[in-house]
Amino acid sequence: MKLIRVRPSGQERTFGADELIVTKTDPRGILTYANDVFLRLSALDEDEAIGQPHNLIRHPDMPRAVFKLLWDTLRQQREIFAYVVNLAADGAHYWVFAHVTPSFDETGRVVGYHSNRRVPSRAAIAAADDLYGVLRAAERRHDRAQDAVAAGHDTLQRVLAERGRTYDELVWDISTGGRR
Amino acid sequence: MKARPETVDAAALDEAVRLVTEVCERACNGDLEARVPVISGSERAARIRIAINGLLDHVDAFVRESGAASAAAAEGRFHRRFLTQGLDGAYRAAAEQITHSNQVMSRTAAQFADAARARQALADELESAVLTVSEQVATAATEMGRSANGLADFARVAVADAERGLGTVSSLRTSSDEIRHAVDLINQVAAQTRLLALNATIEAARAGSAGRGFGVVANEVKNLANETSASSEEIMSQVNTVQQSAADAIGVLEAVTNRIREMSVLVEGIAQAVDGGHQIEDVGLSQLAEVLRAEVSRFVSTIRAS
Ligand SMILES: Cc1cc2nc3c(=O)[nH]c(=O)nc-3n(C[C@H](O)[C@H](O)[C@H](O)COP(=O)(O)O)c2cc1C
Repeated sequence: MKLIRVRPSGQERTFGADELIVTKTDPRGILTYANDVFLRLSALDEDEAIGQPHNLIRHPDMPRAVFKLLWDTLRQQREIFAYVVNLAADGAHYWVFAHVTPSFDETGRVVGYHSNRRVPSRAAIAAADDLYGVLRAAERRHDRAQDAVAAGHDTLQRVLAERGRTYDELVWDISTGGRR
Repeated sequence: MKARPETVDAAALDEAVRLVTEVCERACNGDLEARVPVISGSERAARIRIAINGLLDHVDAFVRESGAASAAAAEGRFHRRFLTQGLDGAYRAAAEQITHSNQVMSRTAAQFADAARARQALADELESAVLTVSEQVATAATEMGRSANGLADFARVAVADAERGLGTVSSLRTSSDEIRHAVDLINQVAAQTRLLALNATIEAARAGSAGRGFGVVANEVKNLANETSASSEEIMSQVNTVQQSAADAIGVLEAVTNRIREMSVLVEGIAQAVDGGHQIEDVGLSQLAEVLRAEVSRFVSTIRAS
């Protein structure tokens, strides 16, 4: 069940360096928990969020390739870091430095996913925004979703190969450069 | 609701206590997925809920960070730091301690990597040095082998030449002996001739004037005999000189051939050292160089693999 997509207003929202935005999902990405900081930033009531897919706050500026990488990594039961811009229900947007990890039960089975998000520096946002602009441009040349994802993925791999960095290293390069 | 707020509040608080207790017990047992669900009807209960969930979120974040950051360090992914942002007080202090430990690990790993790199470089240098040396030894060995064989050939020819020289000189000595023999004969003939001449002179004197002409001839014969004998002595002295020289030459030639034979033994020794002997364990210089090269490359690949 998807709410009607709001149009981005261009208004930016931010949060405190001492705050954590926390959500939990089931293995399919359906929200099972959202903390008060998430609800405040996303301009959502708790009952509007819980039970909804996490793409509830998907911003159209986010390249598809980043989410593909996110899900590919999670399926390998590994952690992933990503810069993400989210769209609040009122049209505002906010950037986060997201850390997404699987949650395991005592038998080692994945019971869901968890995301902690911190506020990124301006420099990190600028770098991520530039990178995503390049990936978006590659993706928008394609009509079919799967072609777009493939194009974005290829472009990302090319950027990484040029810099001689893995995705993980690049993300940390950006976060180190913008260390507050 | 407005009429009896304290009653509603009390019921909601009871419910909140039950839910919070349950969640805290799960969290106590390590289940950090548990969170307090929505509690309606009480502002205070809602605040308790947010406080408890906030506590769990921070404990959850700390546990995830410490696990993931340590795992990353153990895998050598030192770029993945412990994210202290959003964590305060004791969380932050412990996080900083973990970060510090990871940095120490990172430095140690870097030192290990440096040492390994240095070892690799050393192995490379050693290998190339040994390769160069063994190539040079192999080349030198081939060259030496060739020279030794050339020398041996030369020695054989020289010995043969010297032996031929010895033969020539020896035959000279034989000829000298024959000459001496011939000269002895001539001397005997000359002595006899002189006697004959003396008798003829005596006979000529006895014949008086009739024998005068004969006496002249006899005198001539005597002079001839004397001259012959003088020449023979001259020849003999020359033959003696020749024989002495021949004897000297033989001595020298024999010394030379002996030296050359000794040299041949030495040259043979060099050739064996270079090419290897007839025994299987007698390996030559080239094989030794090859063995050295093989040993070093085995050693070097062990070093590289370690
Ligand atoms: C734990 C977790 C947290 C996530 N957080 C976000 C988020 O903050 N913003 C977002 O757009 N997608 C987030 N996603 C990814 C979404 O599930 C989804 O893949 C993404 O919004 C792309 O949606 P789309 O495939 O409809 O384009 C998260 C997924 C998981 C498992």
